[in-house]
Amino acid sequence: VPPESSELLQGTLEMLVLKALSLTPMHGWGIGRRIDQLSHEAFQVQQGSLYPALQRMLRKGWITSEWRVTENNRRARYYLLTRAGRRQLDAETAAWARASAAVNGILKVRTADGAP
Amino acid sequence: MSFISDGLERLRALLLRGRQEREMAEELRFHVDREAAERIRAGDTPESARRAALLAFGGVEQYKESVRDARGVRLLEELGADLRYALRGLRRNPGFTATAVLVLGLGLGATTAVFSVMRAVVLAHLPYPDPDQLVIVVEKNSPTNIWSISTADATAIREQQRSFEAWGVISRDEAALSGTGHPERIAVARASAGYFKAVGVPVARGRLIEPRDEGQDAPPVAIVTNALAERILGGADNALGRAITLDGVSHTVVGVLPPGRDELGGARAPVWPALKLRAPVRRGPFWLRGFGRLKQGVTLEMAATDLAAISRSILPLWSDFPDSLAKLTPISLRERLVGQARGQVGLFAGAVLLVLLLAITNVATLVLVRASAREPEVAVRVMLGAGRGRIARLLVTENIMVTLAAAAAGLLLASFGLKLAVSQLPNLPRIQNATLDWRAVTFALVAALLSGILVSLSPVAALSSRRGIGADARRAGTGRRTNAVRSALVTAEFALALPLLVRAGLLINSFVRLSRVDPGFDPEGLVAVGVALPQARYPDAPEIQRFWQQAEQRLTGIPGVMAFGLASDIPPDLSGNNDNFNLVDHPVPAGQSEPASPWYYVTSGYFGALGVSLLDGRLFTVADSGNGPPAVVVSRTWANKYFPKERPVGRQLIQGGCYACPRTTIVGVVGDIKNLGLATPDEAVYGPVTQSNSRSMNLVVRTSASTPATFRALREAVRALDTELPLQESTIVDRFDDSLTDPRRWTAVLGAFAAVGMALAALGVFGLMSYVVRQRRREIGVRLALGAQPGTVTKLIVARGMRYALLGSGIGLVMTLALTRRLGTLLFGVSPKDAPTIAVTASLLLGVALVACWLPGRRAARILPLEAISTE
Repeated sequence: VPPESSELLQGTLEMLVLKALSLTPMHGWGIGRRIDQLSHEAFQVQQGSLYPALQRMLRKGWITSEWRVTENNRRARYYLLTRAGRRQLDAETAAWARASAAVNGILKVRTADGAP
Repeated sequence: MSFISDGLERLRALLLRGRQEREMAEELRFHVDREAAERIRAGDTPESARRAALLAFGGVEQYKESVRDARGVRLLEELGADLRYALRGLRRNPGFTATAVLVLGLGLGATTAVFSVMRAVVLAHLPYPDPDQLVIVVEKNSPTNIWSISTADATAIREQQRSFEAWGVISRDEAALSGTGHPERIAVARASAGYFKAVGVPVARGRLIEPRDEGQDAPPVAIVTNALAERILGGADNALGRAITLDGVSHTVVGVLPPGRDELGGARAPVWPALKLRAPVRRGPFWLRGFGRLKQGVTLEMAATDLAAISRSILPLWSDFPDSLAKLTPISLRERLVGQARGQVGLFAGAVLLVLLLAITNVATLVLVRASAREPEVAVRVMLGAGRGRIARLLVTENIMVTLAAAAAGLLLASFGLKLAVSQLPNLPRIQNATLDWRAVTFALVAALLSGILVSLSPVAALSSRRGIGADARRAGTGRRTNAVRSALVTAEFALALPLLVRAGLLINSFVRLSRVDPGFDPEGLVAVGVALPQARYPDAPEIQRFWQQAEQRLTGIPGVMAFGLASDIPPDLSGNNDNFNLVDHPVPAGQSEPASPWYYVTSGYFGALGVSLLDGRLFTVADSGNGPPAVVVSRTWANKYFPKERPVGRQLIQGGCYACPRTTIVGVVGDIKNLGLATPDEAVYGPVTQSNSRSMNLVVRTSASTPATFRALREAVRALDTELPLQESTIVDRFDDSLTDPRRWTAVLGAFAAVGMALAALGVFGLMSYVVRQRRREIGVRLALGAQPGTVTKLIVARGMRYALLGSGIGLVMTLALTRRLGTLLFGVSPKDAPTIAVTASLLLGVALVACWLPGRRAARILPLEAISTE
């Protein structure tokens, strides 16, 4: 994957993880699953890339992790959003809103010009 | 704040590595299980669900690596992995590890100990301010003939010199200390005020000697060491103003030196009285040591020019000393204190460095063997995609671990070795200061790291030059290159071992010669008691002569005493009392230096006690009294040197440059004895005690009674004459033994180094040839199967090993012959290029090498052909 697109992808993935965790603490598999559901399967999260992203976010202090027992009585590592993570989610949501509004604006202008 | 949590998380990751790895695995397992369960619920079979789950996840190992990467400790983790891997490898090979650690530990330990000694003895800072400005001034008329300066010299220098900031003189002597309990003889250093000023060390209590103390009428004062004040004056606080009696003269203590200080300017004494110089009446006698502190910016050469001008200016003033070659000469104090020790310690350091190099070479060959045994493993790793850099790092890590362990072992050995050196070589200056300080530890660690890198060089080079890994991987260990490196290493070992052995051989040879020297008499049963008469009670010739005469008479009738006499010095007299002379029949040309000889004062009985025979003329008689014409007896060597073709008896000489004095006549020639120690020539001149007025003599008796009983009887004989005289008791046998102690120890240590060196070289060639035999097992098996004689096979192996031994020894021989410069002064009766010694030591080394090659050679001959061919 070329570096510039991976940067975007990585940032996006982290935002999606933060969003997924803002509802409730979850284990890795559940996060992947939740992102699929939330995006109506529009994003196919490469499962193997989810865990490195979680490690990076742990290091940044956005999330913490703890071992809990699942509904099926298995030990699993759950990830929880921290306050820093929540602020990050807000910031990224706002940034995303601005960016997408700008892009939408551009797209609308171009549509108004009659371009395809 | 994110950098803090980042750092903490990294730290946590590093500290909790094992747990994290386990958690990662568990998390992964959970994920796959859960995914599979999901798929089964959707209708998949268990097996295909699991496979699909894994597939959906992507590469598991890849995933783990990227998680590890994300944790950000990869480099550190790799290092940790290297270390763990290395430890595991070393544990699996305890033989290799123990040998390598021990061999290198020995080398490092010996090097560290010698380095510590060298630092204390040769490189140490002298304990004076600006020590490199300090010089000693001596008289010198040839590169080897150096002696003290006279009162006339000292006075002239004081008046005319322009080089010194401070200038003084010192006279070292012994004195009877009394008035503070049991009388004893102690060393005293009488010094002028300028001496203390030049040295630049302040007193702890009171004051230094000052110019006003030097006047003839000034009350006698002295400075004492803290140790002496503690011992007899009730401590430094109570010492000031107390009186101590030296040779019957009461001295007031005016100053106490700082604790621990008993050496000033290279002289060591517990008592330092003020030196009082009378105006000179002739140029001699030469009895003082000059001492100066150079002005800033004045070099030794400039001072030498200055002093040479003074020598020229005073030469015409004194007719008794016509030697125009004699120059007042400055010698740097450091050179004086360190000069001789540097030669000995240098030899030591050279030897120990050879041992260290041998140890490193040996460990390098061990590492190579291991590296070639591990070639398949390494090849597999390379094929699996391990980087060469990573493998090289692994090898270096492992070797550095070995060498660091060796450094630890070495430091342990060094601390023992250092204790041993300090107790065994007490005559090296300042060796008491030798400690294993942080510099020595740093030295060992740096040496260890360097050794680690050095021993890794060849396997790493072999690694990077390897081509066609795949082809090699199975049939490993056949690398020609590795063998070439090993052969070179083994050759180098012999090249290092031979110089070591030759040096040890030369020292042993020299020592044996020295201990076999005939002292010229039988030292067994000779007992001596030294007596010194204080000037206060024995001011002039009549009292002195009466005492010595009565003392000698009292020796008759002591049970067991067979013969007795008096002598000013007794063998081996390492201090050496010299006087110059000029032969009336064969005078030296005008302006040339007069010859000098060891000069003793004895009674005729002394020759009888020692068993020295009269070869010509007569011994001393009553005619040789204080009023009679001066007479001397000379040794055979002296006679042969100065009168090679004539009869010396009846000839005359001018003694001590006193041309106004009556001529001295040679009245007899006696056999040679080793007056100055076993290593010195036998030249000696003896004058009669009656003509010397020396206050210091030794009563010498040959006895069949026990030594303690004889000492007791001699003590009683002296006490009957004077109860306050301190006595010095010794036996001649002990004195000779003591004189051999140092050479014996030097020889033992160097011999031990050489033995270690030879063992290492032998081990090296043994290891190489054993390896060659293992490698060529198949080939040898085939040869034997085809009818080769076992003897031929052995010969083949031995010949190959001896090729390296011979080549290495040849290179070592060239090195030995090229590096003999410093050795000469440490040897007695042996040239540094002594052919028999070199031949014997080289044969010894090659003999040991032959055994070391023959053992694997014999093993080769016993290979069972069938077994060798069928096993691969």
